[in-house]
Amino acid sequence: MSGEKKTKYMKRSEIITFGIGLFGIALLTGWMPDYTATFFADFAFKGKGFDPDFMSNMISMVFLAAGIIGAVCELVIGYLVDNTRTKFGKVKPWVGFGAVPLAVISMLVFVSPDTDNQTVAVIWMFAIYSLYTMVCCAVESPANCFGALCSPDPAERSSAISIASFLRSVGQSGGMVVILVVGLIMKAVMGQQQFKNAEGQGLDLVIATGICALGIILFVMIFFVNNRERVPFTQEKVSLKDAVKVVFTNKNLLMVSLTKLCGFGRGVYGTVSLYIAIYLLGSKDLKLGLLLPMGIGTAVGTLLVNFVLKRFSTKQTFILFSLYGASSLSILFFVSRGIGFNDGLIIPFLILNFFCGLQHGNTNVTPNIMIADCVDEIEYKTGKRQEGLAYAGYGLFSKIASAFTKALGPWLLYTWSGYLVSTDANVAYAAQTDATLNKLLMIYTIIPAIFVVLQAVPMFFYDMVGDKKDTIVKTLIERRAAAADKNS
Amino acid sequence: MSQKEKSFNIKLYAVAAFVAVAVFLAVVCTVTFKAKYTAFHPDKLAEVFVENIAQSGDGYNAYKNTLVSKNMKYGDFIRKYYIEPNAVGEDGTVLSDEALKSKKTLEDDGTLAGQLIERMYPVYKELIDTNGWDNYDLIFSEYIKELKLAREEIFGDRFFNDEVFFSAFEANVSSYSDFLTGTEDVFDENTGLQLSEKTVGKYEEVYGEDYSFTAKITSEKPVDMNEYIKDFSEKLPGEYGVSPEDISEVKKYAVDVFLYEGFSVAAVEVTVVKIGYSWYVDNVSTDTKVLYSFYH
Repeated sequence: MSGEKKTKYMKRSEIITFGIGLFGIALLTGWMPDYTATFFADFAFKGKGFDPDFMSNMISMVFLAAGIIGAVCELVIGYLVDNTRTKFGKVKPWVGFGAVPLAVISMLVFVSPDTDNQTVAVIWMFAIYSLYTMVCCAVESPANCFGALCSPDPAERSSAISIASFLRSVGQSGGMVVILVVGLIMKAVMGQQQFKNAEGQGLDLVIATGICALGIILFVMIFFVNNRERVPFTQEKVSLKDAVKVVFTNKNLLMVSLTKLCGFGRGVYGTVSLYIAIYLLGSKDLKLGLLLPMGIGTAVGTLLVNFVLKRFSTKQTFILFSLYGASSLSILFFVSRGIGFNDGLIIPFLILNFFCGLQHGNTNVTPNIMIADCVDEIEYKTGKRQEGLAYAGYGLFSKIASAFTKALGPWLLYTWSGYLVSTDANVAYAAQTDATLNKLLMIYTIIPAIFVVLQAVPMFFYDMVGDKKDTIVKTLIERRAAAADKNS
Repeated sequence: MSQKEKSFNIKLYAVAAFVAVAVFLAVVCTVTFKAKYTAFHPDKLAEVFVENIAQSGDGYNAYKNTLVSKNMKYGDFIRKYYIEPNAVGEDGTVLSDEALKSKKTLEDDGTLAGQLIERMYPVYKELIDTNGWDNYDLIFSEYIKELKLAREEIFGDRFFNDEVFFSAFEANVSSYSDFLTGTEDVFDENTGLQLSEKTVGKYEEVYGEDYSFTAKITSEKPVDMNEYIKDFSEKLPGEYGVSPEDISEVKKYAVDVFLYEGFSVAAVEVTVVKIGYSWYVDNVSTDTKVLYSFYH
């Protein structure tokens, strides 16, 4: 085997343009939910005199509804992708043609109607954000599963997925950089105060969205023109019943999806990052400082995983990174306790935050490679190739996990930690007891660490590795070659 | 179908999609910007300027659209010309030095800051009721003088910086608006505790529960550009950083505040000037005093 010359399926440029496509999508979708919430709450209906409590409840409902719609769409889009048969493939048309409505609708999210009617405003928020969620799902989910189709060689596609995931994670932060740069340019052109006036209307968000929306078109079109699907799709039509069955009955696919569910509490640190900045590090301005080292760590971790995967299997890599992640979070906890909550903690905390971020590279890359392997296994067993549904199943579990995270985070913060809310109009953040501060630190470190360990548990039942994987890949290549001979 | 697919030019589609979306985005951004950003429309700027003051009595924030804020952020303008000069004592002591903070200041959980705000509110109200907002120099100077005395009494130190000023002043601006417009019951979202009770504002007392003010331009006045520039050069404070040559256009509008169609409660003349692409209210030539007293 080692003496055989390995066939290279993908051009080098294709690996890059696959990543550029994901970068383009993440450039917009990476920051949309957060900034949409800000836009709806602070700018969309400014000065209209709407009841702020009612509106803030409605905004929560908008995002809850969008979460449900997103979860349903994951499955529906997965099903539709698997039943797509075109000259361009099954995934590419969704991405290439879907990018245009995605760009248009994203822009419209930031163009609120000029209405004094609160009901109209609420209906608009529900309608536009639900539409965005659906279109986003129709582009993002297929784009994520392109990795399983770009090459029949698992090693080659692993490299492609890894590099593309790195560019996607860069894209997720890229949108925020666009907002920053737009602000700087507007300031230079308009002057400081005029920029503030425009910012007060959310106009910097409108311009930034326009640029990111144009970016998504540019980068997705580069991907659309340059990339090819190289794994032939099977011709059988998939029924919806079979489709749902695939997601829940393939053991390995289920195990990969369960990593998300078992590790749902990993993300609760996000709920307390602002409070960590205020109470433990001394300034709310340090929130960005907290997230930046972690973001850089994530990007570096994404590249690091590629190297680790060359020496270890996907299963071993996932478990190793999970253990590393739990250890780094525990070290952050003990170092913070050791130093105490004072100025001296800032630098060590930020450095350790970078090391904690490395583990996220694993959760960004390895499951995507595993799902591609699971798609091979499903094709091997059933003769049907179902990338769309396999990734949709994972996406569905991700969305459920995300809903749990969003429920657990606030509960831990406002109930479990004993956090005291300021009742004085002149005091933004009330003083907290030491016990509460300690619990805030735990929500940022130890509790996510526990979930990082839990996410690795399903991996012990995952077996699409080693000889089994090699045999399946070899058999599939032989089957495809035989099918191609037969057709010709 | 296959014939159709064969004829599909993917590169042409990519270019067409990019161009079409670029045009769409440019149009949407331009339309949104024009609709929301008043500084591109002199008439809208004049109306919004008057309406904002009439609706809330907030002449402080209205300066964000005037020549005061042309070259500097409004907050920075206040810092530079009013806070920094006042942050040095007569004996040369730097009053913003953290070392000056008393034990009371260091240990304050917001209670003393609240007392200071309450103490300063009558000072602010008196200044606005008497002078309006056109002479901002008087407002800031007098307010800061009183603030420093009140703070020393409450906190027991001479510490003074921009945070001390803005937290008290902006709270007073907000309270003054509440005095005019009234407030709703406020409850804490998490505890359900009532933070403040509903109040009836002065406007509601005078004009009834469903009052609503709208500012509209009733006419445009002719302006002799040469005369205006001459007059402007004489009156223009140097700290604005604006020279008469910067101004490319001037407009003067008669703006009325209507309680309902045809019923005007106040009328002002607003002069706006164009510098670069943006329009600014010429606060030096605009008299807004009536907007702070029409409800009496």
